[in-house]
Amino acid sequence: MPTVIARNHSKLWPVLGLYGLVALVALWLIGPFLWLFISSISEQRDLLARPMPLFPPNPSFANYAKIFGLVEFHAQHQSAQILPSLGNSVVVTLIVTALNIVLGSGAGYAYARFQHPVMKITLYAILFTRMLPVVVLMPALFLIMRQLGLQNTLSGLVLAYCSFTFPFTIWILKSYFETIPRELEESALVDGCSRLQAFVKVILPISGPGLVAAGAFTFVLCWNEFLVAQVLNSKPGTTTLPPTVAGMLGQANIDYSVIAASGFLSAIPAVILALVFQRYMVQGLTAGSVKG
Amino acid sequence: MTALDPGRPDDLALQPEASASGPARTRWFARKNRQAVQSEGWFAAALVSPALLVILLIVFLPLVYSVWLSFAEVDLLRPGGTAITIFGMRLPLYRFTGLANYSKVLSDPLYWQALLRTVYFVALFVIEAVVIGFAMALVLNAHFAGRGLMRAMLLVPWSMSRIAVGILWLGMLDADFGAINGILYRLGLIDHYLSFFSDGFTALNVLIVVYVWNQAPFATILFLAGLQSIPQDLYHAASVDGAGFWRKLWHITLPSLRPMMFLVLVLATVNGFLMLDLIYVMTSGGPGNDTTTVTWLGYRTAFSFFKFGPGTAILFTLTLICVALTVIYHRLILSRFQSE
Repeated sequence: MPTVIARNHSKLWPVLGLYGLVALVALWLIGPFLWLFISSISEQRDLLARPMPLFPPNPSFANYAKIFGLVEFHAQHQSAQILPSLGNSVVVTLIVTALNIVLGSGAGYAYARFQHPVMKITLYAILFTRMLPVVVLMPALFLIMRQLGLQNTLSGLVLAYCSFTFPFTIWILKSYFETIPRELEESALVDGCSRLQAFVKVILPISGPGLVAAGAFTFVLCWNEFLVAQVLNSKPGTTTLPPTVAGMLGQANIDYSVIAASGFLSAIPAVILALVFQRYMVQGLTAGSVKG
Repeated sequence: MTALDPGRPDDLALQPEASASGPARTRWFARKNRQAVQSEGWFAAALVSPALLVILLIVFLPLVYSVWLSFAEVDLLRPGGTAITIFGMRLPLYRFTGLANYSKVLSDPLYWQALLRTVYFVALFVIEAVVIGFAMALVLNAHFAGRGLMRAMLLVPWSMSRIAVGILWLGMLDADFGAINGILYRLGLIDHYLSFFSDGFTALNVLIVVYVWNQAPFATILFLAGLQSIPQDLYHAASVDGAGFWRKLWHITLPSLRPMMFLVLVLATVNGFLMLDLIYVMTSGGPGNDTTTVTWLGYRTAFSFFKFGPGTAILFTLTLICVALTVIYHRLILSRFQSE
């Protein structure tokens, strides 16, 4: 194991080799992401120059100013969708995350504490939905949303995202609540609390790590979701950031550096959130082991 | 790994009951409990029903409806005719055509080409994701300065939307402004920029590598969790016996990681079959149909050509594969975890 090698300080080469490997992994993981940022602060002609400069000679945030509509440029009506889509993404993601924390934690708690045949059946049904490919539901969901009048609305997206994120949230929180001893609520009940009070006042305050894992995971999933938003909210101005940014790629007259700025903007909130809550996210990922 | 195990509701019942409070309190609690059973049932129902309702409406209803659509001739412009009304919404049933959609799909050579391509895509993706994911886990499991930072970096490729991943890799691989061409040119390794997307087979392999970049860190996270649960004594004992790096890897690390390995394999397989957004951004199934997988074919049939009947039929063949994989997943993995 490298563990043993690294501890043996008398051997220089294995240590250097290890750090070489670490540098290689770091380059693989972060290099492309950094290049996206570098492209976004470059001018298109620098990217096209041969030899290509590894750092832009005149770095500027002009591309971000363009997509935010602060500077006029030839394709501004196409990039004008970025700001409203960003707003839609924020609204939908925050509402879905909040609903997951509130409703998902309640359901997760119920599944952790109450044993009943109905509970068992519904839990298996929920687990089953996690293995279902979302794309197979899309034609039918498209027709249903059209009938409900929820096509091209944010409520429709919120509803759809909740149904896809609840199973995961319920799953991690159920396993989290199961690690909390029952005696805690039992003594609260003896002290005269109602079941709901015991849950809200005793269990929830000590469930921070589980709630953070579920919330952060929901946020990242919703923020990055593409297919559902693309199909259900196809009207410009009603959709979220991923379909809007993807749509810019099809426009021949938009520079790659502008698209790189949009791509970086769409990636950065989820990346920062994942880095901030990495410990909880890793726990949640390991516990939940979902597709995605 | 109780988290992976849905069939063990008695975990907490095994814990010593009310150890601190004595038998009297337990008896009192049991009596109070019996009176409260009725209201507790309602409490549990109230907690789970909102989530269940949403899942019923947005997952199970569309599932049943799309099964029907795959047996129907769907004409989106003529939603008249027979319909069923659920929750006040009218869902047209269109014209029932039996297995017509399926026989049409299964007799189309395009479908079989796409399926073959998908199998190639999934096989190579799974192998690369497992090998690279495992190699990264071995490196990151070693002791070095900045280990925490490196582990955090794992989340960067994984937490980006696949749209951003696609855009980013277009910037790396483009034939005019791609960074990889720029670097190779600077190093003098090429004298003209390479095109990675004009040849269909190359494009398919490029898609695999990009998807591996996005997904392998997830495998690494799972492998790291597995590596940490291996007792260090085993390695010390093996060192004493004179075992080298590879022997320890083969005889200790890999056998201990077997449950994790199965988990990664199945998740990667399912994710491979369902990959769609990267194709949307990077190749749109082209050039020609050379990067058209079954998922992409189903998506295009349904939403570019608005043939919902054949589209859902294609997607259901895919669902069958995924459900079969899920069954294998439960058989192999959950039984393994339970026996531990």
